[in-house]
Amino acid sequence: MIVSSLFSYVLVAMLLFSIGLLGVIARKNIFVIYMSIELMFNAINLLFVALAQYRHSYDGQIFAVLIIATAAAEAAVFLALIVVLFRRKQSLDADAFRALSQKEAA
Amino acid sequence: MNDFLFIFLSFFALLGAFGMIVLHQPVHSALSLIVTLLALAGLFALLNASFLFAVQIIVYAGAILTLFIFIIMFLNVKESNLPKEPNKTLYLFLGGIVLIPLNLLVLRAFYAMPLLREPLAEDFGEIKPLGAELFTKWLLPFELISLLLLVALIGAVVFARKDEV
Repeated sequence: MIVSSLFSYVLVAMLLFSIGLLGVIARKNIFVIYMSIELMFNAINLLFVALAQYRHSYDGQIFAVLIIATAAAEAAVFLALIVVLFRRKQSLDADAFRALSQKEAA
Repeated sequence: MNDFLFIFLSFFALLGAFGMIVLHQPVHSALSLIVTLLALAGLFALLNASFLFAVQIIVYAGAILTLFIFIIMFLNVKESNLPKEPNKTLYLFLGGIVLIPLNLLVLRAFYAMPLLREPLAEDFGEIKPLGAELFTKWLLPFELISLLLLVALIGAVVFARKDEV
């Protein structure tokens, strides 16, 4: 009965999304922030797949596949960026990377 | 049986996600996230999405997270490199309280939704009908995604190149 109700999937997806959002706003470790973003992607994927089943349509599942491909592209760019930044700053603190958004104060 | 599986998988998905934002070491966080991703793959299987079940395990847990753990170990992160987060528990707690109204709003909107129906087709979610749909109706987004992957590939190479200046 639980497994056949859309509400239970929405509940799990919403909780996962909230945990991801919480990780982005409360943590400073750049790796944990990135993983929280991935977690939010996954929560949305779960919602898409549940709605695809609900509507008997493939659109939700295909969108989930496209999201996974986008996440893979994002992972490649993000990890290259982190390797470069870590070599320069020797830190994983998100506050140490302020130079990305403004001129660095010496 | 399916109810039990759903509760079991959702429990592990939420537990892994919670561990991911609480743990201090990035490697522990990444391993915790793998638990979440595998549990989500199981939930996809419960939703008749057998192709996505395989993609989730092979691409997400297999490739992206493995690359991620590889980079964390490659950087050889020491305790002194990690940010100090003395107020982490407080921030997580306060953030959790702030997010409660948002959750309630969305859940109330979905509360009256009817039950999921059983799929009409026998092969719903398998690779053949999904691929047929992907290469006809969704051909343009599919090609754009391949272009995006190419751009990301070139971007990663440009970033990781040694500075010549």
